[in-house]
Amino acid sequence: MKFITRILRPEQVRELVTLFLIVIIVLGFGAFLKDYYTGRTFVRISTSIAIIAVVAMAQTLVAITRNIDLSLGSIVGFCAFFLGVQLSYHHEIGPVPAALIAIAVGTAMGLINGLIIAYGRVPAIITTLGTMAIYRTAIVFYSAPEGGIVSAHRLPLWARQFASWSIFKMGDLDFRVMVGIAILVVIIFQLILTYLPYGRRLYAIGSNPEAARIAGFPAQRIVFIAYLIGGALAGLGGYLFLLQYGNLMVLAGVGLEFDAVAAAVVGGVNIFGGTGTAIGAFLGATLIGTLDYSLRRWPAISEFWRNAILGLLILLAVATDSAIMARLRLMWARAAAAMTMELAESKTSSSPQA
Amino acid sequence: MTEPILELRHISKRFDMTQALDDVSLAIYPGEIHALVGENGAGKSTLIKIATGVHQPDTGEILVQGRPVVIHNSQEAQALGIAAIYQEPMIFPDLNVAENIFISHRSRGPIVRWNKMYQDAREILAKLGVVMDVRQSAQGLTVAQQQTVEIARAISLDVRVLIMDEPTSALSLHEVQQLFKLVRSLRDRGIAVLFIGHRLEEVFDIADRITVLRDGKLISSRPRSEATVEQVIRDMVGREVEEFFAKSSVRLGELVMSVRGLTKHNVFTDVNFDLHRGEVLGFAGLVGSHRTDVALALFGIEPADAGEIVIDGKSVHIRSPQQAMELGIAYVTEDRRKFGLVMPMPICANITLPTLPKYVNGLGLIQRQKEMEVAEEFRRRLNIMTPSVMNTVERLSGGNQQKVLLCKWLNVQPKVLILDEPTRGIDVGAKVEVHHMINDLAAQGIGIILISSDLPEVLAMSDRILVMHEGRQMGIYTREEATQEKIMAAAMGHPEAILERQA
Repeated sequence: MKFITRILRPEQVRELVTLFLIVIIVLGFGAFLKDYYTGRTFVRISTSIAIIAVVAMAQTLVAITRNIDLSLGSIVGFCAFFLGVQLSYHHEIGPVPAALIAIAVGTAMGLINGLIIAYGRVPAIITTLGTMAIYRTAIVFYSAPEGGIVSAHRLPLWARQFASWSIFKMGDLDFRVMVGIAILVVIIFQLILTYLPYGRRLYAIGSNPEAARIAGFPAQRIVFIAYLIGGALAGLGGYLFLLQYGNLMVLAGVGLEFDAVAAAVVGGVNIFGGTGTAIGAFLGATLIGTLDYSLRRWPAISEFWRNAILGLLILLAVATDSAIMARLRLMWARAAAAMTMELAESKTSSSPQA
Repeated sequence: MTEPILELRHISKRFDMTQALDDVSLAIYPGEIHALVGENGAGKSTLIKIATGVHQPDTGEILVQGRPVVIHNSQEAQALGIAAIYQEPMIFPDLNVAENIFISHRSRGPIVRWNKMYQDAREILAKLGVVMDVRQSAQGLTVAQQQTVEIARAISLDVRVLIMDEPTSALSLHEVQQLFKLVRSLRDRGIAVLFIGHRLEEVFDIADRITVLRDGKLISSRPRSEATVEQVIRDMVGREVEEFFAKSSVRLGELVMSVRGLTKHNVFTDVNFDLHRGEVLGFAGLVGSHRTDVALALFGIEPADAGEIVIDGKSVHIRSPQQAMELGIAYVTEDRRKFGLVMPMPICANITLPTLPKYVNGLGLIQRQKEMEVAEEFRRRLNIMTPSVMNTVERLSGGNQQKVLLCKWLNVQPKVLILDEPTRGIDVGAKVEVHHMINDLAAQGIGIILISSDLPEVLAMSDRILVMHEGRQMGIYTREEATQEKIMAAAMGHPEAILERQA
C-alpha cells in the first residue's frame, strides 16, 4: 500500500482503471463476436478514436478550468465544411496549408467563445450553447451556394486518400496518419498540462476560482487562451473529419461535443474542474470508441441502444467517480500524514536541541 | 528610526450609506507585528482590501517604502511585496503542497521542473521549521497546515508585508501557538505583519503595536507595552448613544421559552437562558461568536445536538422551521437578500408566504383580495413607504425591505420573535422606527431575542443581554449592570477584565 501511494497518484490509478475496462471490453467482445481480432477492427476503432480524442482534448482543457464548451461539434462541422469548399475549388492547397486553414478558422471561433466567457463573464454553458447554434447556422449559410454539401469526388486526390495513409504496418495492424496526429496531440497536451506553468494554472483556476482571482496570476487570460486552444483543436478535428468522411452534410459533427464530454468524463476529467489529464481523456475516447464500434458489430443492439449505453456509461463514470476518487484521495492523504509523522519523528530524533 | 514599509495616509472609503473608513492613517514597520482590532464593521476588512488592491480608496494615498503607489489588484499588491492570508485559506485543493507554494511565481523558467520544485518547497518549509510532505495534495491538509502553505507561498514570493485576517479563528489552541511561533520568526526576519484579531488574549500575546478602529476611524495606536486590555476595550466601544430609542420598561409576563444546555458540536456549547413575555433579550458578540447559529438552532434550520428547549412548559425538539413556526417561533434573518425576501415578488406575496394556506379558498386558489387587505393593514401599521403593496420588494429601500420582512413574520403571530441584525444597513430614521416597533411588539407580550452587533442598540433595547464568545455563553447581564465596556470585555473573552479594574 505504502509502495503504491508513493509511485502512483490517485489520478493515475483512475487511468489504470479505464485502461483495465478497455481490455475487458476488448476481451469480452472478442470472445463472442466473429472475426473481432482483425486488422480491420483495429483500423476502424483507431481512426474513429482519432477525431474524438482531438476534440476531447479541447473539452478537457476548458473542463479543467471549471468551464465547458458545447460549441465544439459545431466548430468541427464548420471547419470541415469551410475547408471542404476551399479544397473543392483550390486543388493546389496541400495537406499542411489545409490543416493550418482549418486550425485558423477554429481558433477564430474559439476566440469568440473565450472573449465572451473570460472577459464578458457570461457563464460558459450559456455562451457555448448559443455559439453552438450560431456556428451551426453559419454552416448552413456558408454551404448554401454549394447546395449544402461537400462531395468527396470534388476534393483533391490527396484529400481523398489521406484517411488511408499509413505510418507503419505491424503485420495486420495498420497505424494510420490520422491516429498518429491524434496521439501526437495527446502527448503534446499531456506535456503542456504537466510541465508548463500555464498548464498547472489551468488546474489552479478550476480547483479554486476564488483563490485564483487573488493569487496573482492572470486567471481571465488563462481561461481565454484555453478556449482559443480549444477552438484550434476543434479546427484540427474538422480537418480530420473532412479527410475521414469526404462527403459532408450540414449536420457534420453534430453530437461530437457530447462524445467529447463523454470521453473526458469517462477518462477521469472532473466536470467541476481541477482534475483530469490528456492521457485520461484519450483513454476515455478509446473506451467510448471501442465500445461504440463493438456494439455496432453486435446485431442485436440497435443504434438507439448504443446511445443509451453511452449515456449510462457517462452517468456511471460521474456517479462512481466522486465516490471512488474521494476514497482514493483519503487513502493518499492518510499515507501522506503517516509520512509527515515519520519525517517529524526522524527530525526530532536527529536534532539534539529538540 | 527605520522607514515604514507600508504607509496609509488619510484613507477614506464610502460604500453607499456607510462611511467604511474615515481619514485613517497607519504606518507599518519592518520587523513589527501590528495588531488591528475593532468591533464588527469597524473598517478592518475594508482597510485590508485597500492595502491589497481589492478596493480603491476614495481619498488618501498609499506609500510603499516612502514611494506613493496605486494598487489596482492583488497581483500588483503582490509585486509590491504585500500579501494577505484570510480566515478561509485560499489554497488549491487539487494541487499538491509544492505546487500551491509556487503557483503564483513568474520567474521559475518556462518549464515546470518538478524535482527542483519539490526540493525548493522542502527548503522553504524547513526554513519555517515545518515538516510536511510536499507531494501531498492540499485537500488532505488541516486548516492550520493550509495556512502554513499560504505563509510559505507568501515567503517564497519575498513578501515584505504579510496581512493576516483573523487567522486563528479556525485553529485549536496548540495550532495557534505553532502559528504564533511562525509569525514571530517572520518578524525576526524583518517582515512586517499586520495581524487582525478578535481574541484580545492573542492580540496582547503576539502584537508589538495595537491599533483600534471604530466606525471607520482610527481611535488609538499604542505600543503593546503602553496598552492595557481595559483601555483597548474602551477604545473599541465608546460610541455615542443619544440617537437611540430606549425600550420602555414593561412588566415581564410569564415564562415563554426556556433553554438549557443547548449545544451544537463544534459550533456552540451550553447555552442557557429564559425568555419571558414582553421581554427583549439581547444577544451580543463579535464575528465568530455563533449567536446566529443559536438562532438557527432555535428555528430548526440547523437543529442543535443536545440540550433542552421548553416552550410554554412543554419540552420540545425543534427539527425543522415548519415545526418552529407551529410552536410560535419566528426568525427574521440577518441576510434579507439570501434568506429573507423574494426580491422580484410583490410586497403582499412576500408577507403571506409563510402563512399561505390561510389565504386559499375552497378550490385551492389564492385569494388575492384577502392577501392585499392584510398587506395594506401592515403597510399602515408599520408605515412602509410604497405607493402599492403590489410593488415588488426589490424597488424598496433597505429600511422598508426590513419592515416587509418583519411583517412577514408578525403575520405568523409568533410568541417568540428572533430578530437577527434587524437594523444592519438601514438609515438612522428607519432604525428608530424599527426600535419603536420592537418596543410595541414587546408591549404586546411577544418574547423577543434581539441579535445585534450594534452595542449601543443592544444596550438601549434589551431588558437583559446574553453575551457570547466563540460559541460559549459568557454571561447574562441585566439592563442595570450592563455597560458597553463590560459587554465588549465579555464578547472578547475577558469578562473579568473590567471588573478587576473596578475591584
